[in-house]
Amino acid sequence: MYIIVVGGGNVGYGLALELQQLPDYEVTIVELSGSRASTLRDELGEMVVHGDGSEIAFLESVGARRAELVIAVTADDGANLVTAQVARHWFKIPRVITRVNDPRNEALFRKLGVDSIVSASGAVMAQIEATMPEHTLVPLMALESAGLRVVSMRVQAGSTAEGKALRDLTLPMGVLITIVITPDGALAPDGSTVLRHGDEIIAVIPREADETLRAMVTGAHPDDGRP
Amino acid sequence: MRVVIMGCGRVGAGLATRLAAEQHHVTVLDTDAFAFRRLLPEFDGRRLVGSGTDDRMLVQAGIETADMFVAVASGDNRNILASQKAQSMYGVKVVVTRVKDPLRAELFGRLGLRTFSPTKVGIELAHDALFAPDGR
Repeated sequence: MYIIVVGGGNVGYGLALELQQLPDYEVTIVELSGSRASTLRDELGEMVVHGDGSEIAFLESVGARRAELVIAVTADDGANLVTAQVARHWFKIPRVITRVNDPRNEALFRKLGVDSIVSASGAVMAQIEATMPEHTLVPLMALESAGLRVVSMRVQAGSTAEGKALRDLTLPMGVLITIVITPDGALAPDGSTVLRHGDEIIAVIPREADETLRAMVTGAHPDDGRP
Repeated sequence: MRVVIMGCGRVGAGLATRLAAEQHHVTVLDTDAFAFRRLLPEFDGRRLVGSGTDDRMLVQAGIETADMFVAVASGDNRNILASQKAQSMYGVKVVVTRVKDPLRAELFGRLGLRTFSPTKVGIELAHDALFAPDGR
Protein backbone atom coordinates (compact mmCIF):
# COMPACT_ATOMS: atom_id res chain seq x y z
CA MET A 1 0.00 0.00 0.00
CA TYR A 2 1.31 3.41 -1.00
CA ILE A 3 0.95 6.20 1.58
CA ILE A 4 1.74 9.89 1.16
CA VAL A 5 2.37 11.83 4.35
CA VAL A 6 2.21 15.60 3.88
CA GLY A 7 4.13 17.48 6.56
CA GLY A 8 7.48 16.46 8.01
CA GLY A 9 7.17 18.08 11.41
CA ASN A 10 7.20 16.09 14.61
CA VAL A 11 3.97 14.30 13.77
CA GLY A 12 4.97 13.44 10.20
CA TYR A 13 8.41 12.35 11.31
CA GLY A 14 7.00 10.16 14.08
CA LEU A 15 4.57 8.60 11.65
CA ALA A 16 7.32 7.94 9.12
CA LEU A 17 9.34 6.09 11.75
CA GLU A 18 6.37 3.90 12.62
CA LEU A 19 5.21 3.29 9.06
CA GLN A 20 8.75 2.34 8.02
CA GLN A 21 8.51 -0.67 10.31
CA LEU A 22 5.53 -2.08 8.46
CA PRO A 23 6.61 -4.41 5.63
CA ASP A 24 3.86 -3.81 3.08
CA TYR A 25 3.84 -0.05 3.15
CA GLU A 26 5.57 2.28 0.74
CA VAL A 27 5.72 5.77 2.18
CA THR A 28 6.57 9.22 0.83
CA ILE A 29 6.97 12.18 3.19
CA VAL A 30 6.35 15.58 1.62
CA GLU A 31 7.97 18.54 3.36
CA LEU A 32 7.61 22.18 2.30
CA SER A 33 10.74 23.53 3.95
CA GLY A 34 13.93 22.69 2.06
CA SER A 35 16.13 22.68 5.13
CA ARG A 36 13.74 20.51 7.11
CA ALA A 37 13.43 18.15 4.14
CA SER A 38 17.19 17.69 3.90
CA THR A 39 17.45 17.05 7.65
CA LEU A 40 14.75 14.38 7.37
CA ARG A 41 16.38 12.93 4.27
CA ASP A 42 19.65 12.40 6.16
CA GLU A 43 17.81 10.13 8.51
CA LEU A 44 14.99 8.63 6.46
CA GLY A 45 16.52 8.63 2.98
CA GLU A 46 14.74 8.68 -0.36
CA MET A 47 11.26 8.56 1.10
CA VAL A 48 11.50 12.27 1.90
CA VAL A 49 10.72 14.75 -0.88
CA HIS A 50 10.84 18.53 -0.82
CA GLY A 51 7.68 20.17 -2.15
CA ASP A 52 4.22 21.62 -1.59
CA GLY A 53 1.81 18.86 -0.65
CA SER A 54 -1.21 21.05 -1.31
CA GLU A 55 -0.23 21.54 -4.96
CA ILE A 56 -1.95 19.21 -7.41
CA ALA A 57 0.90 19.11 -9.94
CA PHE A 58 3.41 18.25 -7.25
CA LEU A 59 1.28 15.50 -5.74
CA GLU A 60 0.87 14.07 -9.21
CA SER A 61 4.67 13.94 -9.53
CA VAL A 62 5.02 11.84 -6.37
CA GLY A 63 2.46 9.32 -7.60
CA ALA A 64 -0.71 10.50 -5.89
CA ARG A 65 -2.78 8.62 -8.48
CA ARG A 66 -1.76 5.27 -7.04
CA ALA A 67 -1.84 6.31 -3.36
CA GLU A 68 -4.37 4.56 -1.17
CA LEU A 69 -3.92 6.81 1.83
CA VAL A 70 -2.96 10.46 2.23
CA ILE A 71 -2.19 11.82 5.67
CA ALA A 72 -2.10 15.63 5.99
CA VAL A 73 -0.28 16.54 9.19
CA THR A 74 1.32 19.94 8.71
CA ALA A 75 1.02 22.60 11.42
CA ASP A 76 -1.05 24.71 9.01
CA ASP A 77 -4.78 23.96 8.99
CA GLY A 78 -5.25 25.69 5.63
CA ALA A 79 -2.66 23.42 4.01
CA ASN A 80 -4.17 20.32 5.64
CA LEU A 81 -7.68 21.26 4.58
CA VAL A 82 -6.61 21.88 0.98
CA THR A 83 -4.46 18.74 0.80
CA ALA A 84 -7.32 16.63 2.12
CA GLN A 85 -9.78 17.97 -0.43
CA VAL A 86 -7.27 17.71 -3.29
CA ALA A 87 -6.62 14.09 -2.30
CA ARG A 88 -10.29 13.27 -1.99
CA HIS A 89 -11.80 15.16 -4.90
CA TRP A 90 -8.99 15.43 -7.46
CA PHE A 91 -7.11 12.17 -7.01
CA LYS A 92 -10.07 10.19 -5.58
CA ILE A 93 -7.83 8.67 -2.93
CA PRO A 94 -9.97 6.29 -0.89
CA ARG A 95 -8.72 7.22 2.55
CA VAL A 96 -7.59 10.60 3.83
CA ILE A 97 -6.53 11.42 7.36
CA THR A 98 -6.22 15.05 8.37
CA ARG A 99 -4.75 16.78 11.35
CA VAL A 100 -6.58 19.79 12.70
CA ASN A 101 -4.42 22.10 14.78
CA ASP A 102 -6.99 24.64 15.90
CA PRO A 103 -10.00 22.86 17.43
CA ARG A 104 -12.24 25.67 16.18
CA ASN A 105 -11.57 24.49 12.63
CA GLU A 106 -12.81 21.00 13.33
CA ALA A 107 -16.48 21.71 12.61
CA LEU A 108 -15.53 23.13 9.20
CA PHE A 109 -13.37 20.10 8.37
CA ARG A 110 -16.25 17.78 9.22
CA LYS A 111 -18.76 19.83 7.30
CA LEU A 112 -16.56 19.63 4.21
CA GLY A 113 -16.48 15.87 4.46
CA VAL A 114 -12.88 15.67 5.62
CA ASP A 115 -13.85 12.70 7.73
CA SER A 116 -10.86 11.24 9.55
CA ILE A 117 -9.69 14.09 11.68
CA VAL A 118 -7.04 13.70 14.33
CA SER A 119 -4.78 15.80 16.43
CA ALA A 120 -1.56 13.85 16.90
CA SER A 121 0.53 10.96 15.64
CA GLY A 122 -0.75 8.46 18.17
CA ALA A 123 -4.27 9.04 17.03
CA VAL A 124 -3.25 8.83 13.37
CA MET A 125 -1.78 5.41 14.03
CA ALA A 126 -5.01 4.42 15.74
CA GLN A 127 -6.91 5.41 12.60
CA ILE A 128 -4.59 3.41 10.37
CA GLU A 129 -4.99 0.33 12.49
CA ALA A 130 -8.72 1.03 12.48
CA THR A 131 -9.33 -1.90 14.75
CA MET A 132 -12.00 -0.22 16.81
CA PRO A 133 -15.33 0.41 15.12
CA GLU A 134 -15.71 3.69 16.92
CA HIS A 135 -13.11 5.72 18.74
CA THR A 136 -14.79 6.85 21.88
CA LEU A 137 -11.67 8.01 23.66
CA VAL A 138 -9.04 9.32 21.28
CA PRO A 139 -5.62 9.94 22.81
CA LEU A 140 -4.24 13.31 21.71
CA MET A 141 -1.12 13.69 23.77
CA ALA A 142 0.73 11.97 26.61
CA LEU A 143 2.00 13.98 29.55
CA GLU A 144 4.44 11.26 30.56
CA SER A 145 6.09 12.76 33.61
CA ALA A 146 2.76 13.39 35.33
CA GLY A 147 1.24 10.08 34.21
CA LEU A 148 -1.56 11.96 32.48
CA ARG A 149 -3.02 11.95 29.01
CA VAL A 150 -4.94 14.48 26.99
CA VAL A 151 -7.89 12.76 25.33
CA SER A 152 -10.81 13.68 23.16
CA MET A 153 -14.22 12.06 23.53
CA ARG A 154 -17.62 12.63 22.04
CA VAL A 155 -20.82 12.68 24.09
CA GLN A 156 -23.15 10.06 22.68
CA ALA A 157 -26.93 9.94 22.69
CA GLY A 158 -28.39 8.16 25.70
CA SER A 159 -25.14 8.29 27.69
CA THR A 160 -24.85 9.21 31.36
CA ALA A 161 -23.21 12.50 30.49
CA GLU A 162 -25.77 13.66 27.95
CA GLY A 163 -27.96 16.52 29.15
CA LYS A 164 -26.06 16.89 32.43
CA ALA A 165 -24.23 19.89 33.79
CA LEU A 166 -20.59 19.14 34.59
CA ARG A 167 -21.18 19.78 38.28
CA ASP A 168 -23.75 16.97 38.32
CA LEU A 169 -21.33 14.38 36.98
CA THR A 170 -19.20 12.36 39.35
CA LEU A 171 -15.88 12.53 37.56
CA PRO A 172 -13.05 10.17 38.52
CA MET A 173 -10.29 11.67 40.68
CA GLY A 174 -7.84 13.84 38.81
CA VAL A 175 -9.96 14.35 35.68
CA LEU A 176 -9.88 17.86 34.28
CA ILE A 177 -12.38 18.78 31.56
CA THR A 178 -10.54 21.56 29.76
CA ILE A 179 -12.46 22.28 26.56
CA VAL A 180 -15.95 21.52 25.36
CA ILE A 181 -16.48 21.85 21.61
CA THR A 182 -20.10 22.47 20.67
CA PRO A 183 -21.58 23.25 17.27
CA ASP A 184 -21.15 26.92 18.26
CA GLY A 185 -17.43 26.57 18.87
CA ALA A 186 -15.00 25.77 21.64
CA LEU A 187 -15.62 26.96 25.16
CA ALA A 188 -13.86 26.76 28.51
CA PRO A 189 -16.44 24.90 30.59
CA ASP A 190 -17.49 25.52 34.18
CA GLY A 191 -19.79 23.59 36.51
CA SER A 192 -22.89 24.88 34.77
CA THR A 193 -21.84 23.75 31.28
CA VAL A 194 -24.41 21.25 30.03
CA LEU A 195 -23.15 18.45 27.76
CA ARG A 196 -25.12 17.74 24.63
CA HIS A 197 -25.14 14.79 22.30
CA GLY A 198 -22.32 15.24 19.78
CA ASP A 199 -20.30 17.65 21.91
CA GLU A 200 -16.60 16.92 21.97
CA ILE A 201 -14.75 17.03 25.26
CA ILE A 202 -11.02 17.55 25.57
CA ALA A 203 -9.85 16.37 28.98
CA VAL A 204 -6.68 15.74 30.93
CA ILE A 205 -7.04 12.38 32.62
CA PRO A 206 -5.04 9.89 34.70
CA ARG A 207 -4.70 6.54 32.91
CA GLU A 208 -6.94 4.67 35.35
CA ALA A 209 -9.88 6.98 34.57
CA ASP A 210 -10.21 5.67 30.98
CA GLU A 211 -12.94 3.13 31.51
CA THR A 212 -15.12 5.24 33.78
CA LEU A 213 -15.03 8.16 31.35
CA ARG A 214 -15.64 5.96 28.34
CA ALA A 215 -18.71 4.58 30.12
CA MET A 216 -19.97 8.07 30.94
CA VAL A 217 -19.88 9.35 27.37
CA THR A 218 -21.07 6.16 25.67
CA GLY A 219 -23.47 4.75 28.27
CA ALA A 220 -21.89 1.35 27.65
CA HIS A 221 -21.56 0.33 31.29
CA PRO A 222 -24.48 1.65 33.32
CA ASP A 223 -22.92 0.59 36.62
CA ASP A 224 -20.07 3.06 36.15
CA GLY A 225 -20.07 6.81 36.47
CA ARG A 226 -23.43 7.24 38.17
CA PRO A 227 -24.37 10.90 38.50
CA MET B 1 -24.14 44.99 0.00
CA ARG B 2 -22.17 44.13 3.10
CA VAL B 3 -18.77 42.92 1.95
CA VAL B 4 -15.86 41.49 3.96
CA ILE B 5 -12.48 41.57 2.20
CA MET B 6 -9.61 39.45 3.50
CA GLY B 7 -6.24 40.87 2.50
CA CYS B 8 -5.36 44.51 1.92
CA GLY B 9 -2.72 44.13 -0.77
CA ARG B 10 -3.01 45.95 -4.09
CA VAL B 11 -6.05 43.95 -5.14
CA GLY B 12 -7.77 44.02 -1.75
CA ALA B 13 -7.19 47.73 -1.23
CA GLY B 14 -8.21 48.64 -4.77
CA LEU B 15 -11.35 46.55 -4.60
CA ALA B 16 -12.22 47.92 -1.15
CA THR B 17 -11.88 51.50 -2.33
CA ARG B 18 -13.98 50.84 -5.40
CA LEU B 19 -16.74 48.99 -3.54
CA ALA B 20 -16.89 51.71 -0.88
CA ALA B 21 -17.20 54.35 -3.63
CA GLU B 22 -20.11 52.30 -4.99
CA GLN B 23 -21.83 52.73 -1.59
CA HIS B 24 -21.27 49.18 -0.35
CA HIS B 25 -20.51 48.55 3.33
CA VAL B 26 -16.94 47.30 3.30
CA THR B 27 -14.76 45.78 6.03
CA VAL B 28 -11.13 45.01 5.19
CA LEU B 29 -9.08 42.53 7.19
CA ASP B 30 -5.32 42.26 7.13
CA THR B 31 -2.83 40.73 9.56
CA ASP B 32 -0.56 43.74 9.06
CA ALA B 33 -1.87 47.20 9.93
CA PHE B 34 0.75 48.71 7.60
CA ALA B 35 -1.15 47.23 4.64
CA PHE B 36 -3.97 49.73 5.19
CA ARG B 37 -1.71 52.49 3.81
CA ARG B 38 -2.78 51.26 0.39
CA LEU B 39 -6.38 52.37 0.97
CA LEU B 40 -7.13 55.71 -0.60
CA PRO B 41 -8.04 58.55 1.79
CA GLU B 42 -11.65 58.55 0.59
CA PHE B 43 -12.14 54.92 1.76
CA ASP B 44 -14.84 55.14 4.44
CA GLY B 45 -15.18 51.44 5.32
CA ARG B 46 -13.85 49.57 8.35
CA ARG B 47 -10.27 48.35 8.78
CA LEU B 48 -9.54 45.42 11.10
CA VAL B 49 -6.16 43.97 12.01
CA GLY B 50 -6.35 40.18 12.18
CA SER B 51 -6.48 36.97 10.21
CA GLY B 52 -9.43 36.03 8.03
CA THR B 53 -8.92 32.39 8.99
CA ASP B 54 -9.64 33.25 12.64
CA ASP B 55 -13.32 32.85 13.58
CA ARG B 56 -13.21 35.63 16.15
CA MET B 57 -11.91 38.08 13.57
CA LEU B 58 -14.45 36.98 11.00
CA VAL B 59 -17.28 37.49 13.47
CA GLN B 60 -15.88 40.88 14.45
CA ALA B 61 -15.75 41.76 10.76
CA GLY B 62 -19.47 40.99 10.53
CA ILE B 63 -19.26 37.72 8.62
CA GLU B 64 -22.55 36.54 10.11
CA THR B 65 -24.50 39.23 8.31
CA ALA B 66 -22.22 39.72 5.29
CA ASP B 67 -23.63 39.28 1.77
CA MET B 68 -20.24 38.78 0.18
CA PHE B 69 -16.77 37.59 1.15
CA VAL B 70 -13.62 38.09 -0.91
CA ALA B 71 -10.33 36.37 -0.05
CA VAL B 72 -7.33 38.07 -1.66
CA ALA B 73 -4.64 37.49 0.98
CA SER B 74 -1.28 36.13 -0.13
CA GLY B 75 -1.59 32.40 0.52
CA ASP B 76 -3.82 30.17 -1.59
CA ASN B 77 -4.53 27.81 1.28
CA ARG B 78 -5.45 30.56 3.72
CA ASN B 79 -7.75 32.10 1.15
CA ILE B 80 -9.44 28.74 0.62
CA LEU B 81 -9.73 27.99 4.36
CA ALA B 82 -11.28 31.39 5.09
CA SER B 83 -13.59 31.18 2.07
CA GLN B 84 -14.90 27.74 2.91
CA LYS B 85 -15.47 28.94 6.46
CA ALA B 86 -17.42 31.98 5.23
CA GLN B 87 -19.51 29.80 2.94
CA SER B 88 -20.04 26.65 5.01
CA MET B 89 -20.00 27.94 8.58
CA TYR B 90 -21.42 31.44 8.19
CA GLY B 91 -23.65 30.99 5.17
CA VAL B 92 -22.25 33.85 3.11
CA LYS B 93 -23.96 33.61 -0.29
CA VAL B 94 -21.27 35.01 -2.57
CA VAL B 95 -17.68 33.98 -1.87
CA VAL B 96 -14.86 34.94 -4.22
CA THR B 97 -11.43 33.43 -3.74
CA ARG B 98 -8.10 34.24 -5.33
CA VAL B 99 -6.11 31.06 -5.90
CA LYS B 100 -2.80 31.55 -7.69
CA ASP B 101 -2.30 27.86 -8.54
CA PRO B 102 -4.55 27.33 -11.62
CA LEU B 103 -5.32 23.67 -10.90
CA ARG B 104 -6.23 24.43 -7.30
CA ALA B 105 -8.44 27.27 -8.52
CA GLU B 106 -10.18 24.85 -10.88
CA LEU B 107 -10.77 22.22 -8.19
CA PHE B 108 -12.15 24.61 -5.59
CA GLY B 109 -14.24 26.28 -8.27
CA ARG B 110 -15.84 22.89 -8.85
CA LEU B 111 -16.30 22.52 -5.10
CA GLY B 112 -18.43 25.66 -4.92
CA LEU B 113 -16.18 28.70 -4.47
CA ARG B 114 -16.01 31.44 -7.09
CA THR B 115 -12.29 31.17 -7.66
CA PHE B 116 -10.05 33.05 -10.03
CA SER B 117 -6.41 32.46 -10.81
CA PRO B 118 -4.28 35.55 -11.49
CA THR B 119 -1.63 33.17 -12.86
CA LYS B 120 -3.96 31.80 -15.49
CA VAL B 121 -5.31 35.25 -16.36
CA GLY B 122 -1.74 36.61 -16.49
CA ILE B 123 -0.61 33.90 -18.89
CA GLU B 124 -3.55 34.63 -21.19
CA LEU B 125 -2.94 38.37 -21.16
CA ALA B 126 0.80 38.03 -21.73
CA HIS B 127 0.23 35.59 -24.56
CA ASP B 128 -2.35 37.82 -26.21
CA ALA B 129 -0.06 40.86 -25.85
CA LEU B 130 2.78 38.98 -27.53
CA PHE B 131 0.77 38.29 -30.65
CA ALA B 132 -1.36 41.42 -30.79
CA PRO B 133 -0.85 43.44 -33.95
CA ASP B 134 0.90 46.79 -33.36
CA GLY B 135 1.37 45.93 -29.68
CA ARG B 136 -2.25 46.79 -28.93
